Amino acid sequence: MEEYAREPCPWRIVDDCGGAFTMGAIGGGIFQAVKGFRNAPSGMSHRMRGSMTAIKTRAPQLGGSFAVWGGLFSMIDCGLVKVRGKEDPWNSITSGAMTGAILAARNGPVAMVGSAAMGGILLALIEGAGILLTRFASSQFQPGSQFEEPGPGPAPIPTSPFGDYRQYQ
Amino acid sequence: MPVAVGPYGQTQPSCFDRVKMGFMMGFAVGMAAGAMFGTFSCLRIGMRGRELMGGVGKTMMQSGGTFGTFMAIGMGIRC
Repeated sequence: MEEYAREPCPWRIVDDCGGAFTMGAIGGGIFQAVKGFRNAPSGMSHRMRGSMTAIKTRAPQLGGSFAVWGGLFSMIDCGLVKVRGKEDPWNSITSGAMTGAILAARNGPVAMVGSAAMGGILLALIEGAGILLTRFASSQFQPGSQFEEPGPGPAPIPTSPFGDYRQYQ
Repeated sequence: MPVAVGPYGQTQPSCFDRVKMGFMMGFAVGMAAGAMFGTFSCLRIGMRGRELMGGVGKTMMQSGGTFGTFMAIGMGIRC
């Protein structure tokens, strides 16, 4: 995560929680619309009604679980920032793993370990993709390239023009 | 082409560019995650050989699509 692309720490929790809810609700709406459309009995009005019912029942649930994940994730993230005194990808990976573990806590230790591994691997992949993207973008795009073909031009600037891409969380 | 000019004189990515980039990134992450988790789950239910390749590929495409969609939405609601 980039420091300049995200909210400062205590407010990040609220931001992530709301963003995750919106993301889950919209994404769940899209997927549940398709699913409800396909599973309903034939006839256009039945299909539309099935799709609406599926959206109304499932999309808020999915948004809620996304929000729980996002809120807990950034809470642990902020805690780690406070404890370790620095902000790096390891914070995200650790908090992803811990979030997975905590949310699976009622299913026993084996499920906790599995869920923690899943969260950690997922966040590690996302962080790695972000780092790769930033490196690629800063080597690819050069200043002044909107007027001519991007070719061997002046030296690339140190900061990435696509750093904003990483505020997806 | 985007018209907004950033602080260093290069163009800022437009909203659609960012959504597209988010989708591509989510797709890549989802493909990688689907390769790992899909291999485990397909091996667990006893797929081997050519069947395993098909199963893993299917899981990769599915999770890539899901991840990409969610990441694109996540980019879209923030710009």
